[in-house]
Amino acid sequence: MTMPTLASTEPVLLQRLIFGDKMPASHAAAWSDGLFLMITWFSIFFFVLLMGLMVYFVIKYRRRPGVPAQPSPHHNTLLEIFWTVVPSSSMLVMFVYGFWGYSYKIVSPNSAMELRIRGMKWAWVATYPNGATSPEKQALSKVIVEGAGPIQGLEYPIFYIPEDTDVKLQMQSADVLHAFWIPEFRTKMDVVPNRYTGYGFHTPTLTSNDSYVHQITGEVMPGRDMWIFCAEYCGDDHSRMAATLRVVPREVYDQKMAEWGVKLDPIDAGHKIWNTICKSCHQIDGTRLVGPAWNSFKNDAGEFGFGYEAVLSNGSKVLRDDNYYRESILDPNAKVVKGFAPAMTSYQGILSDEDINNVIAFIKSLSDRDPNAGEHDATPDQLDSQAEESAGSES
Amino acid sequence: MSTLDAHAGHHDEGSYLSGPPGIIAHIWQWGTTVDHKKIGVMYLFAVLTMFFIGGMAAMAVRYDLLEPIRTQEVLNAAGELETVTSGEKLKELLGGITGDLSDVQIYNRAFTLHGAVMVFMFIVPSIPASLGNFFLPIMLGAKDVAFPRLNLLSWYIYVFGSLFGIMSILLGGVDTGWTFYTPYSTTTDADHWRVVLMVTAAFVLGFSSILTGLNFVVTVHKLRAPGMGWFDMPLMIWAIYATSIIQVLATPVIGITLLLLVFERIMHIGIFDPSMGGDPVLYQHFFWFYSHPVVYVMILPAMGIISEILTVHSRKHIFGYRAIAFSSLGIAGVSFLVWGHHIFTAMGELAAILFSGLTFLVAIPTAIKMFNWIATLYKGSIVVNTPMFYGLMFLFTFSIGGLTGLPLATLTTDLHLHDSYYVVAHFHYVMMGGTVIAFMGGIHHWWPKMFGKMYNERFAMLGAVLVFIGFNVTFFTQFFLGTRGMPRRYANYVDEFQTLHQISTYGSWILFAGFLVHLFVFIQSLLAGDKAPANPWGGLTLEWEAESPPIEHNFHHEPIVTHGPYDFETVVPPHWDPKDYPLPENGGQH
Repeated sequence: MTMPTLASTEPVLLQRLIFGDKMPASHAAAWSDGLFLMITWFSIFFFVLLMGLMVYFVIKYRRRPGVPAQPSPHHNTLLEIFWTVVPSSSMLVMFVYGFWGYSYKIVSPNSAMELRIRGMKWAWVATYPNGATSPEKQALSKVIVEGAGPIQGLEYPIFYIPEDTDVKLQMQSADVLHAFWIPEFRTKMDVVPNRYTGYGFHTPTLTSNDSYVHQITGEVMPGRDMWIFCAEYCGDDHSRMAATLRVVPREVYDQKMAEWGVKLDPIDAGHKIWNTICKSCHQIDGTRLVGPAWNSFKNDAGEFGFGYEAVLSNGSKVLRDDNYYRESILDPNAKVVKGFAPAMTSYQGILSDEDINNVIAFIKSLSDRDPNAGEHDATPDQLDSQAEESAGSES
Repeated sequence: MSTLDAHAGHHDEGSYLSGPPGIIAHIWQWGTTVDHKKIGVMYLFAVLTMFFIGGMAAMAVRYDLLEPIRTQEVLNAAGELETVTSGEKLKELLGGITGDLSDVQIYNRAFTLHGAVMVFMFIVPSIPASLGNFFLPIMLGAKDVAFPRLNLLSWYIYVFGSLFGIMSILLGGVDTGWTFYTPYSTTTDADHWRVVLMVTAAFVLGFSSILTGLNFVVTVHKLRAPGMGWFDMPLMIWAIYATSIIQVLATPVIGITLLLLVFERIMHIGIFDPSMGGDPVLYQHFFWFYSHPVVYVMILPAMGIISEILTVHSRKHIFGYRAIAFSSLGIAGVSFLVWGHHIFTAMGELAAILFSGLTFLVAIPTAIKMFNWIATLYKGSIVVNTPMFYGLMFLFTFSIGGLTGLPLATLTTDLHLHDSYYVVAHFHYVMMGGTVIAFMGGIHHWWPKMFGKMYNERFAMLGAVLVFIGFNVTFFTQFFLGTRGMPRRYANYVDEFQTLHQISTYGSWILFAGFLVHLFVFIQSLLAGDKAPANPWGGLTLEWEAESPPIEHNFHHEPIVTHGPYDFETVVPPHWDPKDYPLPENGGQH
């Protein structure tokens, strides 16, 4: 696709100052930067002109004892028409260019690869055309602490997309409004419940300068990482609702798809869903977050885990069985565990029946009352390390 | 009117500030007053208090952003791995009073508090209700506004509404943002009433706004002094008139919208929440249909003040009187057609294109005003004292605010900048660099008239310079944060943004210091300021013909207008004598 670009591909100083190191990742983005720079130069011109005149007048006509103000016309129709027409016509130009660039950002070819994006409090999930989702994650910032390895803390999913490809986003929210912003593509769109929104972009062709550091192996790999931020306020952890978009060579992408598209057994599949969706509120090591942890344990608040009784907010007790979990996923506020806020939204229509079965299978596997114990032998910790190993080894 | 006259009979010739002896009697007299001047002063006190509360919340927000929040596993002294979280600045500072709230929850409450207090309780009523109330009747040559009792009622409604807001804060605060976007605002803290309380506050405050606007419109139409035609009115009056029209027409819409929100929250009637069959984007349309015109409720009175300050302190006739007056009305009209530019990322393509075009229209009258103000300075006799410094500062910061709005009206660049720090910087340049700066200028310009006391020029200027530096350091950096990819309303951020965030926070401290200096100057003036002459600056509008402070009925005789408000070249100001007050340029010679 050829497109006129207002920005120079060799970034000028002003461009670097404004956009930092984040060079535009697509033609549409470069076009938008060019327009931004054009408006900036226009603004600088008028600002310097106005302020220059103001300062000049204030100095030249400063009040001196005995010198009154000198008469001058109270208006000048020609001058006033001039300074109405000049800004008006300049703005007409900006409007037209803005509309032009807008069409580049929202329209994508029919052949574009479709990436389904789901936003929820407070995570992004991307589903690829073959139904796979990315299990890979990386931490917010990499600090190597002497003797302790890289920092852990909060991790964000990594979405892989192939280079030099048209991508179309089909986005939907599971709860409140979010917005999917990729600063390097210079575009965002709100993610709304019960409605599809989206936009398109053409991924850049990787150059020899594009590289990223692999989150586990530490290897420098060819590819380009970009931040994805949620830009519409969505509550407590709005500022942690980020992800990485990783543009990689086509063959790396194809390899990931082949690997992630493999059908998993229910517990592994449930573990994967937990890892992408449930983890921000439900831990599996007894840690209390917004919601109760899933593994079996006892503390002052009562007993937790599959097969144990839950004390509800109304004081009654209920056994945590398959139906309890199913109801809690589809109608979370029907039975709220005592001491927790009714903060969860329904996953009706978001998780399929099979997904729900898989999640329940995973929850069962975390309990020492797991009826299927012995049928499988991997513990969640082992699953975690397996996932990391596989993520590390294939690259 | 009979009680009014009987009441006034006692103090006909005394300052409006003089009252009966005894504190109780004094408070009773103020609390039951129908004098627009007293009500204006009470509003001034109330909005400045709200400015302080909102300002403290802003300081908290900036303080939290000094460092990003980081969780690390480190080896402790015993050689064990330990999880350490750093950068939770607000939690460390306020943990004692905020209980179980996490750092991000405190942050989200702080920025909501800042926005809601500043918009609904400070900036909307700020200039019209305080300076407008005080000076609109005097500048028209009237004894009072058209409906003095309604005026007092609107003050009580304002205080009543603010109490709802404060109650909501004391009960634990609200974390919806001042825009209350659905469905977050209808689902957050589902078992609490705080959101309902805060929304009720905004709803009640709206009535205060409507009643004040109505009062001013009628006053301008009916109570102009003999000889004052529409085009003999000071431009401040034109600005307040345009503002009042917007208030009367737009505020009912937010009232209805907030009511629908409360219905949805309490009665679960699905209007905005999609899980009940509603449409969340509908809320945004309703909300901005009010909240965009209201931006001009905030800025138009500021523009009015600037027209007064620039002419008086440069002793020049305003350039293009009619252009400025009509551009105020033009802005008021077009302001109703541009709400969609707040929702470019949530609306259809055709609507986005239309709203982009309409948005550019509103920039034109603003640009015209800017050119007119600069042209006014030409061949003047300009003195840079505190009010004038604020006037010039307005031209500087408001130009930046206006010009940085252009990429936001431009569709393709807005998709990047929307909901980023660029927008935050832009509207702070307009709202603070515009309205607050002009408000500060107006307070200094009219302070001698309102309280009959001069203030310390040297310290006032120091405060103004600190505000100027602090403001620009705080907010100019935020343009770059936004273009580089920093989203707004973030309690936490990625490493690359830290330097700019730190600079911005240091700027906010300078800004805060500037306002503290001003507070000191005001208190010093009230306690020990020199007596102010009736016309310290040599202004020609009617308020300078009244005494400082004005008598209860403003004028000893009904004024008759014989000259225009800006006829400096043809009229010798009747009461003005530079010896009355040592102006800076001849201060050393006395």
